[in-house]
Amino acid sequence: MRSSDPAFPVRNTSLCLDINGHKTDIIISSYEDHILVIATQIGSMGTILQARKEGGVTSDPTYSISVVFGKRDEPMLIACARQLIEHISNSGSSKTLVLSLGLRDHSLGILKSIVSAVTEKLAEVI
Amino acid sequence: MEETNTENIGCQSDGVQLTCFSEQSDGDVLLHFQIIRLQKQIYVWIGCNSASFGHLYAALPTRPSNAVGVTSLIGGSSDNTGFGIARRLVLKTGLNVVLACNLPKNNPMLEASAEKKLLQKLISLGYTKPQI
Repeated sequence: MRSSDPAFPVRNTSLCLDINGHKTDIIISSYEDHILVIATQIGSMGTILQARKEGGVTSDPTYSISVVFGKRDEPMLIACARQLIEHISNSGSSKTLVLSLGLRDHSLGILKSIVSAVTEKLAEVI
Repeated sequence: MEETNTENIGCQSDGVQLTCFSEQSDGDVLLHFQIIRLQKQIYVWIGCNSASFGHLYAALPTRPSNAVGVTSLIGGSSDNTGFGIARRLVLKTGLNVVLACNLPKNNPMLEASAEKKLLQKLISLGYTKPQI
């Protein structure tokens, strides 16, 4: 659960947790204009989504989420991306989120666990 | 060309390996590389002087033929700098690759240099599979 060397321009952090008996690896990388979150139980990136914040300074932000690779018929994945981009936006960052979810199933409980674990860790790299 | 930094951070489970390093390239260009190795896939980010994410590509071998399937996921297809790198990485390593890269376009020397350094690192880390 260490972060990478401060001299490297991208900040990374990772953790490994057990969700319902499945080992889940989570890696978070913060780039200049993007945040990459990988949560995998299957050994690969799975479905990749992009979530960006739109909207001006004066109006409430709106978010646009799209699946760029993988399952396009799983609303839970999109909901997960939306929760995370809202959290990133509320933390004061305008970075775009690239979220990779390689999960064995897409139930509400699993996604909630992932959102809460990632939210906690995001504080280290935002 | 000096290697300024290499770190290997393993997740407790050993299912994931993260390697980050930077190398000076010809001229005043500092190339950054981030490699995340998952069991069945490798994610690579190549940065040129900055920590900008760049365009995202996915590439994988198409068995049983020797062809490689590549697609651009984020960034559109007008700038294909990473496209060629992703494709050649899969051709030479047989791995399933997701590549993010912010290299400037129209600079084939830089592209070749980045690709070479990346390949050397992947081989030295033992991530490459035998030729398909």
